Amino acid sequence: MEDKREIKVKVMNLTKQFDELLVLDDISFDVKKGEFLCIVGPTGCGKTTFLNSLTKLYQPTKGEILINNEPVDLKKHSIAYIFQEYSTMPWLTVEENIRFGLSIKHMPKELADQKVEEYLEVVGLTKYRKYYPDQLSASMLQRVVIARAFATEPELLLMDEPYGQLDIELRFKLEDELLNLWKRNGTTVIFITHNIEEAVYLGERILVLTNKPTKIKTEIKNDLPRPRDIVSEDFVNLRNEVTDLIKWW
Amino acid sequence: MESKTSRFMRKNMAAFMTIVAFMSLLLVWELVARFTNAGMFLPPASEIISKFVESFTVPIGKHRMLVHIGVSLYRVGVAFIFATIAGIFLGVSMGYSKTVEAIIKPIFEFIRPIPPLAWIPMSILWFGLGDQSKFFIIFLGCFCFITVNTYDGTKNVDHVLLGAARMLGASERQVFFRVVLPSSIPYIFAGLQIAITAGWSAVVGAEMVRSDEGVGWLIVMGMTNGNTVQIMVGMLAIGIVGYILATAMAKLEGRLCIWNQQQGI
Amino acid sequence: MKNKTAKYKYRILSVCSVIAVLFIWELVTDILHLISPMMLPSPAKVLNTLIYKLTGGVNPDGATLLQHIAASMKIALGGYTVGVLVGVPLGIAMAWNRKFEMFAKPLFDVIRPIPALAWIPLMILWLGIGYWSKVGIIFFAAFISATINSYAGIKRTSQVHLWVASTFGASKRQMLFKVAIPTALPMIFTGLRLALGSSWVALVAAELLAATRGLGYMIQVARMLGRPDVIIVGMITIGVIGYLLSTVLEKLQNKYVKGGK
Repeated sequence: MEDKREIKVKVMNLTKQFDELLVLDDISFDVKKGEFLCIVGPTGCGKTTFLNSLTKLYQPTKGEILINNEPVDLKKHSIAYIFQEYSTMPWLTVEENIRFGLSIKHMPKELADQKVEEYLEVVGLTKYRKYYPDQLSASMLQRVVIARAFATEPELLLMDEPYGQLDIELRFKLEDELLNLWKRNGTTVIFITHNIEEAVYLGERILVLTNKPTKIKTEIKNDLPRPRDIVSEDFVNLRNEVTDLIKWW
Repeated sequence: MESKTSRFMRKNMAAFMTIVAFMSLLLVWELVARFTNAGMFLPPASEIISKFVESFTVPIGKHRMLVHIGVSLYRVGVAFIFATIAGIFLGVSMGYSKTVEAIIKPIFEFIRPIPPLAWIPMSILWFGLGDQSKFFIIFLGCFCFITVNTYDGTKNVDHVLLGAARMLGASERQVFFRVVLPSSIPYIFAGLQIAITAGWSAVVGAEMVRSDEGVGWLIVMGMTNGNTVQIMVGMLAIGIVGYILATAMAKLEGRLCIWNQQQGI
Repeated sequence: MKNKTAKYKYRILSVCSVIAVLFIWELVTDILHLISPMMLPSPAKVLNTLIYKLTGGVNPDGATLLQHIAASMKIALGGYTVGVLVGVPLGIAMAWNRKFEMFAKPLFDVIRPIPALAWIPLMILWLGIGYWSKVGIIFFAAFISATINSYAGIKRTSQVHLWVASTFGASKRQMLFKVAIPTALPMIFTGLRLALGSSWVALVAAELLAATRGLGYMIQVARMLGRPDVIIVGMITIGVIGYLLSTVLEKLQNKYVKGGK
């Protein structure tokens, strides 16, 4: 089935070299608007470097990244990035943290207040709005980060193994919450993980990367209907297929 | 790919800028000193440096520079050693035993806020004008920091470690010598570092108030005689030795506490 | 419940300890005359003198205790304020701007090992024995602590937090004010406290050497006139005020600054 959505992100010949070390080697691919793309690869293969290049935190050595057909401009394009590490600001309360992105973008106060209320509700943290990060559990912290990201209603959301530290039950719950938010806002999502099951559960498409110097090994379409059942035969087959591809790293 | 020269420049930019910074400062200084009225107050850097070098062979007052420095270091050294012994002993006792803490801490907390130099008049009254009163002042300056830090370190031993040791059947004596003391060492060293700097400052102060030789004497004599060059030569010596003391102590800690990498300044 | 009685027991022990010290002190001086009053006046005498000087007694140094305190505080706070107003922004700038750091930090590192006290002779020679020379000395004492701690605070800014702001499109200025400075605030406050402590110490030193008013002057004169009771009153006052100043800042920090020590 042809994907008729327009192209949101165009990555062309992305190469990143640190002194002598070639990390990303001529990577090219497209991401469609509103698509949920998962990227899997071996540990240390430059997935994080890739995301950082996408957000201009690293300058690509060669190649270009376009969003809506223009070079990436963090002030113009609204991008949100959820890091692997905990990134809540310890000096701000939960609601102030959620407001953080909005205040950087100079959103007017009433509108910002509204958004903060809305997303506090969506992640179920309204009761904890005045708490500080050091009083919250790990999953709550990740929820704050997700609310903070979604509150800016980004056109592009990047996530780098955000659920890696959480236990399985929590992970399933947050994955479902994420899918809801994605559907609701129509955000384009690029989601990095080394957990194959998670990738198959979430993604419409899975990119498999190689070891350093990293290239795209292959791309797998995931048409399974939602909500996906992780014990269904189709799911398990797809999962095995991806796992086999990875086994040859 | 970057050229070899630009790569070299980038990596050594910091060192290069440091040199530029100093050169420009010294240049401006020299010009201002020689060609403006400020020269009355601010002798040229060249004169200060040459006088400084000269002081190692030509005596200022009754002694050469090394003797002055030596005397001051001697005073700090003796007092510091006593302060370390007393401070560690007291700090450990207060940290380990709640009883000792209850008895000693209030008295200690009363003495602590009084700056060591405020003791000078009393100290001279008790010990006279010689070295003893200076030892006392420097001792006080060092002792308080060492005690506080040792106390902190002893009190803050990780409960998990203590529990583990006791569970393994260690006697209280073993717990003390094998868990409490070693884990306090980084704190003790932090205290020693602050203390040596405080001690150096204290000896300068004590010598300024009353003495016949030493680096503090140098600068206060300079003041009395209106000899700005001598004051700045003295300050240069004080700064250099102060820096060496602080760095040496930090290096020592680095050696002895390899497992504890402290960050920051 | 056992803990409560234990705490209570230690409290009593502390109180007893202080009382015991005072008692022994009194015993050894006034009662048994083991130490001459020239060496160590009795607590009773000290208390007497304290009350005398608090209530308008101007002997032997020409001013009441409150007048001396006012004189000292004026100078200390003056130098301190200028010192931190210069030091905090300087520390922040050095930590935030790499180019500025490469130029300014080496110069700062050269001044740093010189104790504030060592500036006294130079300041007095340049600015006389009045108000300004002391302000100058205290400026140095405060400025150094404030700069060092502000610098360290900003340097501790987490890369991840900066990245979060950057991805949201923050300008460098926004990153400084919304991430770096809030991160550094606890350490900046620590710097302010340390600076206050150094200022007070530097003040006492300066007054010992050259002053006509102030607590340091008071105890120096007292020594020359053989009045150890006044010396002790002075020392206690110096200690108490230093302690109060530090506690005020600490309370302010606990109330308004969220974050580590």
